[in-house]
Amino acid sequence: MIVERVLRGNAEAFGSLVERYRDRYARYALHMLGNREDAEEALQDAFTRAYRSLARCDDPERFGAWLFRILVNRCRTLGARRGRRAKTFVFDETALLSASEDHPAEQGAWREEIDRALQRLRPEQREAFLLKYVEELGYDEMSRLTGVGVSALKMRVMRACDRLRELLSEVHSA
Amino acid sequence: MRDDDNVKIRDVARALREPVRVDASFNERVMRVVRELPKHSHLSFWRRWAMPRTITVRPLAASLAAASLVLFALVGLWHVSDDLDRAAKPIAKAIFPPKVAPEQHVQFVLVAPDAKKVAVVGDFNGWDPSHLGYQAQHRGGGVWAVTASVPIGHHRYSFVVDDSLWVADPTAPRVVDNDFGTTNSAIVVEEQR
Amino acid sequence: MNALKRALAGVLAAAATARAQDVRLAQRLDKPTYVAVNAIVDSARVAKLPTAPLVDKALEGAAKGSDGQKIVLAVHQLSVRMTSARRVLGTSSSPDEIKAAATALDAGVSERDLERVKSAGGKRPVTMPLAVLTDLVGRQVPIATATTLVVQLSRSGVKDPDLALFQRNVRADIDRGADPTVAATTRARGLVARGSTSKTKPAQ
Repeated sequence: MIVERVLRGNAEAFGSLVERYRDRYARYALHMLGNREDAEEALQDAFTRAYRSLARCDDPERFGAWLFRILVNRCRTLGARRGRRAKTFVFDETALLSASEDHPAEQGAWREEIDRALQRLRPEQREAFLLKYVEELGYDEMSRLTGVGVSALKMRVMRACDRLRELLSEVHSA
Repeated sequence: MRDDDNVKIRDVARALREPVRVDASFNERVMRVVRELPKHSHLSFWRRWAMPRTITVRPLAASLAAASLVLFALVGLWHVSDDLDRAAKPIAKAIFPPKVAPEQHVQFVLVAPDAKKVAVVGDFNGWDPSHLGYQAQHRGGGVWAVTASVPIGHHRYSFVVDDSLWVADPTAPRVVDNDFGTTNSAIVVEEQR
Repeated sequence: MNALKRALAGVLAAAATARAQDVRLAQRLDKPTYVAVNAIVDSARVAKLPTAPLVDKALEGAAKGSDGQKIVLAVHQLSVRMTSARRVLGTSSSPDEIKAAATALDAGVSERDLERVKSAGGKRPVTMPLAVLTDLVGRQVPIATATTLVVQLSRSGVKDPDLALFQRNVRADIDRGADPTVAATTRARGLVARGSTSKTKPAQ
């Protein structure tokens, strides 16, 4: 068990955990924060905090969920600190964090619109939407992750969906 | 609208679920920081097993005691199934004498309508706002609450709102904290008989 | 478990706790601060003072983003206050009492006042009376008045749950606009007159 090896003093073993969880959580951080630099910062910060406080991870089998919780919090802090960005980085094949390279141009434009609309959501709605629809978590798990009650989360998801539809319809009708 | 609403959201979600590639240098950057940090020791490993965590089973006693200082809204029977804790308890009893400070479940409540996150921090959890088990849940109407384990004895604590704002418990005894410029709260947790 | 095993287990527990505390400090403090704080904690351990409050103070400072110097100063000052507290309360005082007394000293309560609260309580633990005293002082009841009230309540045999109730009532009165001294004095008088225990006569 990698977590236990790290706790016994094998710091290098932590690299395997970074490898395992990096991409999936990079996706969340990028969509949540809207740009590569912030996402990288949040992700790196989350990993180092997780390493520092690894002894407090109650269940090594659920390290991923525990790490994710740290990342969700880091994204909140970073998001609050940096405020909303007028310009967001959304799709750039040459960037460090990028979507799959086999996107044709028109799909690229559509992706850009989605990302732009996503960044226009209120942070708590964006968070709830990503956790529900992109990370595909259940509401109970989302509640444990965020500390927010289930009904409040459902409301946020609903509002996020309404707003996204609205924003994306504007694009279509433009 | 031409499209079915749900389909559109599903399309959006599917697009967002596309994998995001991270440069391989990211791993090295993380590990460079990790290598600078103190290594965990085998005692970190054993400590997890040796210290029973949040779960204490106590018989239902008097419903309220010392309510003002302690915000006991509820002290009661608490059954939680937690595999790690069930495994930890027999090991803890074998290795350590049964003198680990007994704990009580204490409810902490803060009314903070604009908050997005509320955590309880104190000398019972190393003042760590990310400590699991001390994250308040929003109950509605701006009321945040968490029932957490606090060892019997005298403690100082505070709420941390949105990871940045330290708020003393307005309903608890104050401790003017001259060291770091904030006001903490005091709690005296007593054994339920 | 026989006596030898208990002793060994106790040593292991103490060592594990000390090591665990060191690990947390090392994780959260920069190196110079860690070294300085560790030195203070070690001295306290040698002097048989409780070390957990010192570690907690450092962790609190780290959590609040304080700079290293402030943290070291805070830990040092707490260590000094705990030394005074133990001197006043006696070597058989519990870690909780020492913590509560150190907190009261920090609020401006004098060693003389601590002594008065201690004698008024007799053999009963003074943790709760000191917590209530600290709270009253924090709510702007003059120290001399607050001490006198707490001493009177202790001498009357008022138990901890009633002290807690007293504190809550005073707080509620102050929140509603009452003068802190008037609120505290009134509530204390009522509690003493009611005689919350079957023991000693209420103080005049």
